[in-house]
Amino acid sequence: MDKMVERVEGIDSPLAQPQVGAAPRPDGSAIGRQRGLLIRNWRVGILPLMCVGLFVAIVLAAAVGAVPISPLHTAAILLNQLPIFHFARHWPESEETILLVLRLPRVMGAALVGAALGVAGALFQGLLRNPLADPFLLGTSSGAALGASIAFAAPALYTAAWLGFGMVAVLAFVGALLAVALVYRFAMRGGQAPVVTLLLAGVAVSAILTAFQTLIISLNDRLGLHVVGLYLWLSGGITVENWTQVGVVLVIVVVGLVVALMLAPALDVFALGEDMAGYLGLRVERVKLLIVACAALLVAAAVAISGLVGFVGLVAPHLCRILLGPRHRLLIPATALAGAIFVVVADLFARTLAAPTELPLGVLTALVGGPFFLGLLRYAGQRYRW
Amino acid sequence: MATNRKTSDVVALALEKVGFAYRTGARPVVRDITLRVNAGEMVGLLGPNGAGKSTVLKLAAGALRPATGRVLLQGSDVAKLGPGETARRVAMAPQDFSVRFAYTVRQIVELGRTPHTGIWGSIGRADQNAVQTALEETATIGLADFVFNELSGGERQRVLLALTLAQEAGIVLLDEPTAHLDIRHQIEVLRLLRRLNRERGLTVIAAMHDLNLAARFFPRLVLFTGEIVADGAPGEVLNSNLLANVYETPVRVGILRGETHLSVLPPGHVDSDGRCDGDEKRRCAEAKVHVIAGCGSGELLMRSLADSGIRFSVGPLNIGDSDYILAEQLATLCLTEPPYAGVSETGLDAVRDCMRRAKLIVVCPVPLGPGNIALLEAAFEGQQSGREVVLLEPQSGEGAEGDREARLIESVSRRDYSGRGAEVYRALLAAGARILGGAMEVVEVVAGKA
Repeated sequence: MDKMVERVEGIDSPLAQPQVGAAPRPDGSAIGRQRGLLIRNWRVGILPLMCVGLFVAIVLAAAVGAVPISPLHTAAILLNQLPIFHFARHWPESEETILLVLRLPRVMGAALVGAALGVAGALFQGLLRNPLADPFLLGTSSGAALGASIAFAAPALYTAAWLGFGMVAVLAFVGALLAVALVYRFAMRGGQAPVVTLLLAGVAVSAILTAFQTLIISLNDRLGLHVVGLYLWLSGGITVENWTQVGVVLVIVVVGLVVALMLAPALDVFALGEDMAGYLGLRVERVKLLIVACAALLVAAAVAISGLVGFVGLVAPHLCRILLGPRHRLLIPATALAGAIFVVVADLFARTLAAPTELPLGVLTALVGGPFFLGLLRYAGQRYRW
Repeated sequence: MATNRKTSDVVALALEKVGFAYRTGARPVVRDITLRVNAGEMVGLLGPNGAGKSTVLKLAAGALRPATGRVLLQGSDVAKLGPGETARRVAMAPQDFSVRFAYTVRQIVELGRTPHTGIWGSIGRADQNAVQTALEETATIGLADFVFNELSGGERQRVLLALTLAQEAGIVLLDEPTAHLDIRHQIEVLRLLRRLNRERGLTVIAAMHDLNLAARFFPRLVLFTGEIVADGAPGEVLNSNLLANVYETPVRVGILRGETHLSVLPPGHVDSDGRCDGDEKRRCAEAKVHVIAGCGSGELLMRSLADSGIRFSVGPLNIGDSDYILAEQLATLCLTEPPYAGVSETGLDAVRDCMRRAKLIVVCPVPLGPGNIALLEAAFEGQQSGREVVLLEPQSGEGAEGDREARLIESVSRRDYSGRGAEVYRALLAAGARILGGAMEVVEVVAGKA
């Protein structure tokens, strides 16, 4: 045995040769492993690029409709709304009215929904360290759906309005937030809410709320439920009618985005696990509550004006992570832009594919996003680590 | 070895009568322990699974709050330090460190700066320097742009160390830093820790499972199962009785030849009761082979026999002979004589007894003198009464039989101080003794006879 130990002690440790790690691996995998470096060079420019992309998407979405408007006109009209642009008007005033009063609120609503869902998805995936996490995980969707069902079932509520929103939107918003609060409350044990317990509580609360919602639907004739309305709401669709609604949602989403950006470094630390985050000096429970609250607020705001639009919150963070790497300081703004572009385009198709019939937005996001995401996984599957 | 060169009198970490239970009312995992670690010390925390080693580390890192007593980091109560200040004083490398998503090594190590930048903050120049130094000291600089999750276990452990170094805390706690690593990477990680301890004056406290590595790398060991059982240098702590009690299994502790540190080994595969009850006759009867050795000439043979599970007796050996410790551990029976004494009459009787019971007598290339030549004569007597005798002579490898014998006699006369060696060897050869060149050949012969 003594000889054996001697021999091992004699091995030249790589510590003696600091360059050892840089040597290419015999299997040639060094190139693949250095992906981070290759991407760093061009990913700086990607955010402005995505902003331009979002603008183009908004212009296209606003230009297409029952009365087609030239995209150039649309772009000029949109830019004229900003104080720095003053394009001479060479288009009929009706076009300006149609764009600004009828189409733009909806397009902006779609962009806000996409941004909110995308960022909420990134927050949940980062916090729960789970690539399957989506914005509807911790009971938000079932809470919102139950709230909406109640509104659809009560004619008195159905016609009431608050801050320019119908009761469906208000109750969906409240339902989503209450559901998350309930999940969080149940997951708390001795001042801590472990991630796994959060997930399980989310599943259980979702099941209960969904059961109540199903109950309401099955009693629809006695309750006088607006079944078709509820069905369309559940399959998702942008229901923005005026700028007041856009304004309210905008405020919530901007606040949510700012908080999410401030939480970005903490989310990176969470990637090392909750314990390690604690060893690195993070107030884990406080930050976790902040992340969940921020994500819940974003989802509730989105759900209020769009019903249940699936897939955005799952796909957008993954897409951005494949392109830009996992760091949340870049990931969160990128996810907001990608989600916005995605929903604006999907809503455009929803309005126009079978016009004048409007297709449910949730169907479009799944039908467009699903195959796209599968293709992406196939292309990037070997390199992309969750 | 200047292991304690940097140790100062400043107390880096103190646990004062600390008690802890995971649930109120449950049996406490940590019971009233008091431990002081000075700045610049390197301490190994030993104890069986479930002894509470990880709990102690978590208490020291401020992740758990003691139920009773208090934990002091550089003189301040952890309970009163904020998490950020705690993390600037103590870094923890947990055992189950995993990373989600494809972060690069540099990005991971940068996260070690969190206690300095705050959770909103960004990386400044001082942070960049700390990260660079940490990467260089752990030789992970070449891996900086690799994705962490695609690294091997040893590389990951070095990156985790880099992360804790980037934290620039004076105290580093490690929960089994060598778990899941192969022997080379275990040694590499511990050497790195020892270097950082000596060169940077880093206070290192590590929970260790491998007692042998702990004995080699840690100047101070703390044996722990809920409470501190022993605390001191490896020589004081690695006591076979203490270890046997704490780990609830018999172990042997000793210094292997050519080594300077203690080693802890499991009991040999010869039944321990067979060697402990003092029934020499019975143990003698169990041995198939009797070995005449001494001065290290029997080492290889004894190891080979033991490895093959063949029971053998040895002796007599002088106490303190270089073959003696190994024979005590491996042989079914080891006959002994006092140091520097020749073989006594009672010793000869015992040897004759053993040889009568053995099937094979192996004579190792031991130096011959007036004290032990009688053993060869006893072997000759054994040969006369039907025992087979094997003369082990590693130098006489191949060649014709006559050559071999000539060379054997030549080699015997070189190590013969009795004047009768060649004569006795010739007699043994004439009576049919076989010459074998290696220990494995002996094992084959024994296996062939069984």
